[in-house]
Amino acid sequence: MLEVKNIHKSFAGVPVLKGIDFKVEKGEVVAIIGPSGSGKTTLLRCISFLEKADDGRIIFDEYEHEMKNVSRHDIKKLRMQMGFVFQSFNLFRNMTAFQNVMEGLTTARGMEKEKAKKIADAVLEKVGMSERADYYPDELSGGQQQRVAIARAIAPGPQVILFDEPTSALDPELTGEVLDVMKKLASEGTTMVVVTHEMSFAREVASRVVFMEGGVVVEEGKSKEFFANPKEERTKQFLKRTMRN
Amino acid sequence: MSNRLVEILVSSFMKILIPGIKVTIPLTLLSFALSLVIGLFLALVQVAKIKGIRELARFYIWIFRGTPLIVQLFIMFFGLPSIGITLDAFPAAVLAFGMNLGAYNAEVFRSAILAIPTGQMEAAYMIGLDYPQTMCRVILPQSFPVAFPNLFNNLISLLKDTSLASSITVIELFTSAQQIAARTYEPFALYLEAALIYLIFSTFLTWLQRWLEEKLVWRSKGFEEQNNTGRAKPIV
Ligand SMILES: Nc1ncnc2c1ncn2[C@@H]1O[C@H](COP(=O)(O)OP(=O)(O)O)[C@@H](O)[C@H]1O
Ligand SMILES: [Mg+2]
Repeated sequence: MLEVKNIHKSFAGVPVLKGIDFKVEKGEVVAIIGPSGSGKTTLLRCISFLEKADDGRIIFDEYEHEMKNVSRHDIKKLRMQMGFVFQSFNLFRNMTAFQNVMEGLTTARGMEKEKAKKIADAVLEKVGMSERADYYPDELSGGQQQRVAIARAIAPGPQVILFDEPTSALDPELTGEVLDVMKKLASEGTTMVVVTHEMSFAREVASRVVFMEGGVVVEEGKSKEFFANPKEERTKQFLKRTMRN
Repeated sequence: MSNRLVEILVSSFMKILIPGIKVTIPLTLLSFALSLVIGLFLALVQVAKIKGIRELARFYIWIFRGTPLIVQLFIMFFGLPSIGITLDAFPAAVLAFGMNLGAYNAEVFRSAILAIPTGQMEAAYMIGLDYPQTMCRVILPQSFPVAFPNLFNNLISLLKDTSLASSITVIELFTSAQQIAARTYEPFALYLEAALIYLIFSTFLTWLQRWLEEKLVWRSKGFEEQNNTGRAKPIV
């Protein structure tokens, strides 16, 4: 459903992505793991056009685009079908939780207030934030903010949701509530791409795992096989290091 | 103090205050309104990185910040008639003050917009907003509280700077004081009186600023702490 081919991206001449191929099928949950600095965030940002890839193609639904010259119009169309959940939540600070969720429906998609309100209520309910719908982001804990951010991302019903380390900015005792919401989405068949350091999530929830290092995909496979029998030496080392913690 | 001096001060008070209310205040408010429109426009075209127009905005700011206000006033009132544009003193003053302060407010707005973390804009794009929607719905509403204290400081400066309009024949607060001082030969007392009336006006504006800041900054404490420009942070 979403595929990128041969993405290259450099920052100031330093290559960060060196020819990444990556594919998500409908209903899949793909976990992207790898040491920090390996280019995971950059990959998600290129897919969502928050960064402009130097080279590569994106295939989304029936559309196929050269990534370095996609028009503003097409970028908007592609983004309308994607959700993005940021490490630092990025809730709009001038809006309540409810307004944050409404914004993508009413302003961006021109949906009627009444219809949008029903959707907003439903998604806030789903992430367990109905009670705090009228709170401003600064009045919410990190875990609560991230759950609202997830509600905001799923509200328009995108085809795929990209998560960039959604629990890394949270205190350890708050990661559970966010991971629970993500598990729920996964069990409902939501297509998700999740950059994560939570190995238990990658193992138990993800259907497929992609291991990145140094701007390339080192290894990927079905979640169970990947963890049971990593093939590459670098994968083994990485798993050994992270499992110890 | 002699009786005569007291009498002069009392009888002149209203004669200075009334032009203050009728001329200085409208002059200040109109000029300020113009400066907000110009400032916001100049800030927006700069952050939007529109080639050409951005350079024009910078040129404008360079000119108006780089030359004295009184020279700008003189050009507007005494200079423009030479090229066939004749303005009355009051509108000439509004234009000069508004255009001058517009250059300063442009920088206030621009830095307030740039103070908003880029994550806000990226989140807006990812829910499908376009650039103008992102500006109107997310970035500007967050920028106004950041810009507010500096805009208000500029308003208070402007109130006092309008006294320069006396030099282009606008009969405002200070002009009235000058006229009475010339008639009574009591410059010291009269100019102190004029200063006092400016002080009353600016004190009122300071109160207004405090009151508006409390209304304007949203409930969140975190927001206030991060953006309080010019206000003392409580030490805890
Ligand atoms: N905007 C940027 N400008 C310059 N370098 C960047 C930028 N974004 C990321 N990088 C660099 O690219 C590399 C990969 O970063 P990133 O994609 O964030 O890795 P990860 O998410 O896997 O930790 C890092 O070395 C980082 O310093
Ligand atoms: Mg990252």
